[in-house]
Amino acid sequence: MMQNPFNIDPQHARDEVEAFRRKLEAGMETLRNVGPIELGSTPREAVYREDKLTLWHFVGEKKPTAKVPILICYALVNTPWMVDLQADRSMVRNLLEQGEDVYLIDWGYPDGADRWLTLEDYIDGYLDRCVDTVRRRHELDAINLLGICQGGVFSLCYTALHGDKVRNLVTMVTPVDFHTPDNMLSHWTRGVDIDLFVDTVGNVPADLMNWAYLTLKPVRLNQQKYVGLVDILDNPKEVENFLRMEKWIFDSPDQAGEAFRQFAKEFFQENRLMRGEAKIGERVVDLGAIRQPVLNIFAEQDHLVPPAASKPLGDLVGSDDYTAIAFKGGHIGIYVSSRAQREVPPAIHEWLAKR
Amino acid sequence: MPEKGHDFIDQYQNFVREGWDAWSRQMEQGPGAELPGSEAMGRLFGGLDGYGEWLKSMAAGGDMGAMPMGIGGIPPFGAPLTGESPEVMTRRFEEWLSTAREALGMPGLGIGREQHEEQQALLRAALDYAQHFSRYQALLGRVHDRAAEALKAQGAVGTPTDPESLRALYDRWVNLAEQAYGEAALSDEFREVYASVVNAQMRLRVLQQHQVERLAVQLGMPTRKEVDSLGERLQAVRRELRHMTGLAAEVESLRAEVNALRGATAVPAKKTASATKAATKKTVSPTKRATTKKTSR
Repeated sequence: MMQNPFNIDPQHARDEVEAFRRKLEAGMETLRNVGPIELGSTPREAVYREDKLTLWHFVGEKKPTAKVPILICYALVNTPWMVDLQADRSMVRNLLEQGEDVYLIDWGYPDGADRWLTLEDYIDGYLDRCVDTVRRRHELDAINLLGICQGGVFSLCYTALHGDKVRNLVTMVTPVDFHTPDNMLSHWTRGVDIDLFVDTVGNVPADLMNWAYLTLKPVRLNQQKYVGLVDILDNPKEVENFLRMEKWIFDSPDQAGEAFRQFAKEFFQENRLMRGEAKIGERVVDLGAIRQPVLNIFAEQDHLVPPAASKPLGDLVGSDDYTAIAFKGGHIGIYVSSRAQREVPPAIHEWLAKR
Repeated sequence: MPEKGHDFIDQYQNFVREGWDAWSRQMEQGPGAELPGSEAMGRLFGGLDGYGEWLKSMAAGGDMGAMPMGIGGIPPFGAPLTGESPEVMTRRFEEWLSTAREALGMPGLGIGREQHEEQQALLRAALDYAQHFSRYQALLGRVHDRAAEALKAQGAVGTPTDPESLRALYDRWVNLAEQAYGEAALSDEFREVYASVVNAQMRLRVLQQHQVERLAVQLGMPTRKEVDSLGERLQAVRRELRHMTGLAAEVESLRAEVNALRGATAVPAKKTASATKAATKKTVSPTKRATTKKTSR
């Protein structure tokens, strides 16, 4: 007779299933009592608006000590509130506490009217006007720019093309080499007929983007995560945190069709940033033109932007002052984990303070 | 709308329960703890297979409505036409096609010739998509089987570190499933199949859109093609306007600089420097005035 190799006592298994059911039933009360979930906890003021975009200036409890403000350029996918998810998980709040003066670009939710926005419109247009707004407010020629993920790619392109307006550049979980062997998204994208895709769907629906992200780890993200939720159903605060993250993940904007077309083709499919051939409008992006100090922070367990995709930046920029920091965590953990709160904002502040 | 919160809770409850039940159903048969090891094994892996079938049906879009995210039917992996599984869709399509084959197989003639050809192309695209989708599903099925086999192989080894709870076993299976999926997802075959299913669906949707556009024209409604054209032209005009505004600012700045230089010949050097500085500063100003609005957060 074959032994039960997993040492699972059948009675224990039945008890476990029953306990799980009881916990699930009892936890429903917690779910019913959860109020509205909000993202973005730090006080802020809008200092510039254009189309769907808002440029936010955060207001800390004390006056900033940094003389040069920092502008955060987030990705077009998802909303930027990952950097200010809640009071105790906020990169923004921690940067303010360090004495930084923080601005954030909120790209908004594109609709059919934004279908024809190109990367040039985003980088040479919206981003440039946000930079100008901050420069004007502080009467500075150049400010600090912090780009995140796709926003990091935008920031690299911007700095290469408008170097005189950027004093220091910080990139976080930013891909540079899109063709590393472990880059699943890029691997899948390469065979897709992007022109046919964008011509057909127009703006790329947020749900479709989310679905693609979920299929990177389908069982863990579609299943195990929700089974795990049962474990915390008796803790309203934990449930609220879970649902806040859930809101951030799924409350995401559609992608402007033309910008998506260009990004998918030039960066994901043709890896042009790495090859020095990416074009914004008519201008070629030469990362070698970036002479500013560069701080590149990547996450060691990042399944969306593998570290290998970020690391080559040091060899590509023309700066003599390049620093790389490997964070022990993932693509999201780098903003919201306890470790991130302790390590990332102070590291950025210290690096900037020395320059 | 007030029911929405309850809908979510019900959906979530169903979702978690179904997944977990699929795992545990086989363990629950009959009272008593005298289940022989071999039978326990059989039930355990029976549960695993049952779970696999449930998961596959979810991936096929069959039971996606029960998920809290409500992502059923989302392309490229949901069924685009009917919300049914590709197998059902293919079968129904073939049944329908066999009845219509004679007429559709005929070349189009006369005034309806173009519509006739478009409809044939649409049907061919639907069949093509269903076939690519089936390939994708088969690939996912193989990934699941590989994970299940890996778990069974671990069981056969029977190492002392084996899990002692159903949950630990589930977590172990998830790790194996993700590992198997990760390996498959980075393969050339997956890339080819993934791209083919996306591209096939887009070809189908383009043809569907043509049909809808034709209908919209007949009803005197604006079509997406027309709206897109207007949007494209408008964006081009906006770009041109910005460019001209930028040029105007540049001209203004140069004019100030020229005036400053002209003044330099008539005034002392000290004044010239300040005028030049003022002119230079003007070029830095962004073209759009910033607005300040406080929010109560």
